[in-house]
Amino acid sequence: MASAVSPGMEVRRIGGSQDGRVIELYIGAQHPASGHMRLIVYLDGDVIVRVDPDIGYVHRTMEKLAETREYVRVISLLERMTIIDSCNITLPYVEAVEKLLGVEPPPRARYLRTILCEINRIASHLYGLGIGGIFLNHSTMYMWAFGDREVFLHLASLLTGARLTHTYSVFGGVRRDLPRLFIDEFSKAKRYMLKRLRDYDKLFFNNPVIRGRLEGVGVLKPQRAVELGVTGPNLRASGVRYDARLTGYAAYGELDFKPVVGKEGDALERIWVRLREIEVSLDLIEQAIRSLPEGPIFHERFTKTIPPAVRHWLAKGRIKLPGGYVRLKTRPGEVFTRAEMGHGEVTYYLVSDGGIKPYRLRVVTPSARNVVLFDELARGHTLMDLPAIYGSLDYFPPEADR
Amino acid sequence: MSPVSWLSSHLGLPDWLLRPILAPLVYPGLLAFMPVALFIIWAERKVTARVQMRVGPLYVSRRLGGVLQLLADGVRIAFQEVIVPETAEKYSFMLAPIAAFSLVAATFTVVPGGPGVYGFDSNISLLIAYALISLSPIVTVVMGWASNNKFSQIGAGREIIVSIAGEVTLLASLLAAAMMYGSMSFNAIVEAQNDAGIPGIVANPVAALLFFIAVLLITDRVPFDLVLGEQEIVQGPYTEYTGILFALTMALDYAKLYVLMLMFTNVFLGGWMPFNTPLIGSLCVFTKTLVLMLISVFLRSVYGRMRLDQVAYLFWARLLPLALAAFSLSAVMHFLYR
Repeated sequence: MASAVSPGMEVRRIGGSQDGRVIELYIGAQHPASGHMRLIVYLDGDVIVRVDPDIGYVHRTMEKLAETREYVRVISLLERMTIIDSCNITLPYVEAVEKLLGVEPPPRARYLRTILCEINRIASHLYGLGIGGIFLNHSTMYMWAFGDREVFLHLASLLTGARLTHTYSVFGGVRRDLPRLFIDEFSKAKRYMLKRLRDYDKLFFNNPVIRGRLEGVGVLKPQRAVELGVTGPNLRASGVRYDARLTGYAAYGELDFKPVVGKEGDALERIWVRLREIEVSLDLIEQAIRSLPEGPIFHERFTKTIPPAVRHWLAKGRIKLPGGYVRLKTRPGEVFTRAEMGHGEVTYYLVSDGGIKPYRLRVVTPSARNVVLFDELARGHTLMDLPAIYGSLDYFPPEADR
Repeated sequence: MSPVSWLSSHLGLPDWLLRPILAPLVYPGLLAFMPVALFIIWAERKVTARVQMRVGPLYVSRRLGGVLQLLADGVRIAFQEVIVPETAEKYSFMLAPIAAFSLVAATFTVVPGGPGVYGFDSNISLLIAYALISLSPIVTVVMGWASNNKFSQIGAGREIIVSIAGEVTLLASLLAAAMMYGSMSFNAIVEAQNDAGIPGIVANPVAALLFFIAVLLITDRVPFDLVLGEQEIVQGPYTEYTGILFALTMALDYAKLYVLMLMFTNVFLGGWMPFNTPLIGSLCVFTKTLVLMLISVFLRSVYGRMRLDQVAYLFWARLLPLALAAFSLSAVMHFLYR
């Protein structure tokens, strides 16, 4: 049973047992490299004894707010958890509600969702790589990754009309059809990104200084990773072959997909997994575009109810949501869904009492599961390794705090 | 008649008194340092921006490519309130940056900026310059301690480790050079290279390399910017400084870089070689120094930061044995500068 211990008491306990050698360092919440959180670090000389991640600085009561909104309005709320990965984080929720509604999205919509999910994943990985770069004071990697992320934000905005909060997947399908321009733009983007990945390898991944900082730092054994419930690229870097995409939601079951699995489990391997996953994602998008089925993008049950005045938009590949859509009633029941985000696996547990709003929505985000790694990996390393570990985890505080 | 003797005859002051005042204050000292800092920081940001697909400073003086950005920042910082933390040791907190900067400025008295352009000539001027440079880390430690902040104190601890490792390498390369030229006076060293027609970097590239790497460490350049260590310890020993005192701590590293690269020019690049008139020779020294500084700031866009133990290992276990090679090379190359 955990008892409430204030940080100050803790340092006195540890410090007292070691002749007052241990000092307590508050990294954050106002710090160049803390993010929206605080890391309470206990240092014996330069060696980390313990790290307490103090989270909750950007807690926005997502789960409670979801209970006060109609089903469709929850989508744009949940996007705010991980604004950089908004299709991936809302997809399991949309699928959960679809299950309760008894609606199956048309195949074309499933493929379009997959395309946007992978674009989001690349953007999210680039974001993580950029942050990982600046944590090692490698400002070029930071700027490059954020600059190249724009390419994928552009692709996303072509597809959905928005750069970040797309609200693209809705119950019964997607909001917009694939524009003709997209295929050309994507093949350009793919060529560009593959070229850039080689640059990243040269300047960042194979840079002797960066390798020296990351190699053998924060090693996570596969057994321990599973015990701790770590997820996403951090889990795969340890050599565990688990990826929620293997369950075959959206169109993943029909595409040829192999997860990237590392073996060392150190910080370098975690960065490597992200770099290689970008390649896999590019390949997945190409596959999805190639085998994109023809047909409607929205379920017939809702298409019927679109008022005649805005029906002409349908021919242009756009869905104007019908008025009754906001007051959809689901059947009572409980659904559990999952999806693989850029940071890892997100799971939703949705309980419905048959009303127009969720009765209870439980969200477990990947960052919330990975936060345990700060303490696990940093112990025994020096203070300078802490940014290297933080950067390699691709931890996103707003997502963990929900 | 040289400008110095013209000025001394007008002011009625003796030449030997005027020189050590003019050298640190005018050229190669602080007055010359202003445009150098302005240009180098601008070039650093501009070159890094170019590599990183950005534009860098642009909006202040758009036609000049934003070169006045630093001036604008400087004006802002100069009028900012200087906050002294309640828990800080007030006097040492406020005086330490000034003392550190003065120490570095004093170094300009012995380092010549051109033929006949120097504060005073001594046959141990190399050692004097080294001693003055290596005093400033002590003041930096005082800054960290006086700030009474955990980040500052960790930064001060890093400064101790880093400066000892860097200065041993620096001294080893300087002594190797002195052994090669058979002199410890900057003027004599430059003349020796002039007479032989071979700059020291050709005769002893190992010592030159050691000097360059040690300078990167001492002046907190990437990949050795551990003392600043923004991602771990915010701004190291300078965390608590604001306003004009912060500007001084920031200028400190650039002033050190400037004076050390000036030393590099004199010791390894033949100083004012191949010119011998005061004006053109000074310009030559100045240009060589600027190019060296540009190379050292360019590394920012290629490397990240090395870890403390790796830096210590690199300097003690890899570069110090290399210093022995530099010494033996000097012993062999000594015949060139006889």
